[in-house]
Amino acid sequence: MGDKKESPVRPLIVLGAVSVISAFLLTWVYISTSTKIEWQRGEAINSSLASVLPQAKRFEKIETVDVWVGYDGENKKVGIAFTCAPRGYGGPIGILCGVDLEKKVTGIRIASAAEGLKETPGLGAKVREADFRQQFIGKERDEIRLKSEGGKIAAITGATISSKAVTEAVREGITRYEEFLR
Amino acid sequence: MNPAKIFLAAFLVNNIILLRYIGLCPFFGVSTRFSTSFGMGMAVVFVMMMATFVTFALYHLLLIPLNLLFLRTAVFILVIAALVQFVEMFLKKSFRALYSAMGIYLPLITTNCAILATTFLVIDYRYNLFQAMVFALGTSLGFTFVILIFSALREKLEYAPISPAFRGYAIAFIAAALVSLGFLGFIGLFGLSL
Amino acid sequence: MIRRRPSRLKYLLDGIILENPILILMIGLCPALATSLTARDGLGMGVAASFVIITSNIIISLIRKIVPDNVRIPVFIIIISTFVTIVDYTLQAYQPALYQALGVFVPLIVVNCIVLGRAEAFAYRHGVFDSFLDGLGKGLGFTLILFVMGTAREFLAGGTFFSKSVGIEFLQKNGILFMIFPPGGFLLIGLLKALVNKYVKLE
Repeated sequence: MGDKKESPVRPLIVLGAVSVISAFLLTWVYISTSTKIEWQRGEAINSSLASVLPQAKRFEKIETVDVWVGYDGENKKVGIAFTCAPRGYGGPIGILCGVDLEKKVTGIRIASAAEGLKETPGLGAKVREADFRQQFIGKERDEIRLKSEGGKIAAITGATISSKAVTEAVREGITRYEEFLR
Repeated sequence: MNPAKIFLAAFLVNNIILLRYIGLCPFFGVSTRFSTSFGMGMAVVFVMMMATFVTFALYHLLLIPLNLLFLRTAVFILVIAALVQFVEMFLKKSFRALYSAMGIYLPLITTNCAILATTFLVIDYRYNLFQAMVFALGTSLGFTFVILIFSALREKLEYAPISPAFRGYAIAFIAAALVSLGFLGFIGLFGLSL
Repeated sequence: MIRRRPSRLKYLLDGIILENPILILMIGLCPALATSLTARDGLGMGVAASFVIITSNIIISLIRKIVPDNVRIPVFIIIISTFVTIVDYTLQAYQPALYQALGVFVPLIVVNCIVLGRAEAFAYRHGVFDSFLDGLGKGLGFTLILFVMGTAREFLAGGTFFSKSVGIEFLQKNGILFMIFPPGGFLLIGLLKALVNKYVKLE
């Protein structure tokens, strides 16, 4: 009942002050970390790009999509690399895939558990192993389908969902980004 | 992704409580009785749908154009808190019956991770507004479904002979483990996965 | 009977066992189950959340006398979300792998019942140093449980610790994968809770 003594303005002032201070603090944090974050993203990708498209000497990222175009020493286009993250069994599977001008896969790299991969270790996580990934190299888009669906990729026993997720994502990626190969 | 698949995934395959571990505090706190679970469930559906709509709109109409993405966390949670306040006041005044059914759960929902998580997920999954609403509906109904099942279980558990160390939360967690195991079986349904 | 003011140290020590947020107070459960898949993730999440609990406790305690009662919740929320965003962006910049692994649970720290709970129950009514101790204690208790669970789950599922094998071949080949799936998490915390019920006697 003694509320009449308190000014209704005071709560608003306090709220306003806290908001403004927070906004400043947040803007500062954002600005301080944004260069490092950009660099991190760049690092993570750059070290892997060469491994999935070995013919390329340098890469250029396309503005609005997750695609990098690879050029050789004479600045001729040799292929592209794209990232995608399809839903696997336990969560998204981070994939980086390289494709040459003949629309054949040149390399494929998959995120590790330390980087957030949530597939079952020993089963779905086997998509990371060389044996599975090797199957994609040199294959064309239409061959990239599970054997059970008429294609040439053998799924990992006991890990059909993870195998299928990777396979479908690679094929869809090639379809979606083939325009950048021209 | 077509809406039916999004709904099914949110409701069963990626059930927010049993498979994403989100929304646990109210889950264990409220699921002791069927009636309280029902009230909480209704409140969650109500708030989640509205919160998803409002935060989605704010994100796309305000945060992106003004390049303020780093304010996402702060803005979303404030919106949810404000929304809950308004809803509670509105219900108290205009829909007394509804208020008595679920009103008291509303303040608890502000800290319900499920609401905030859903608002974040629809952005991360890059859904459009319609897909986001379907996802929110599926998620909140999945939440309600599970706490209802669970409240029935817990009401029974109260009469079961359980050793003292396990009574209460401990046995509830173990029961949740078993139900969650069952739900794991949904992965792969219609080709859906986590 | 003369009651003595509880020693300062109590605020700190309580949080670790007697008032352990996860096993006694039963708050902050979501991240406990979701981010305790490995020792590193559990530790990382624990430290991140502890940072937020401690800093928000300190700030809220500092300004408690000037914040009117009717706006305290929005003020708490603004302060907490500021620190959560700081942790979010700092992790993105300096620990990207951990950030990827923790995922949506980093921003979810803002609704972690521990943070808001301690702000309301303690920081708003106590001095700065006491609030710091309380935050530190609860943070340590939280981190302890997450780390223990993470270690246990990682170890049982594949015989590793911080992703390095511990040399127990049997577990590496035949790990109990169940432990890293949701049911395993629920089971583990149920067993921990039963253990606490049996051996930790509260006043």
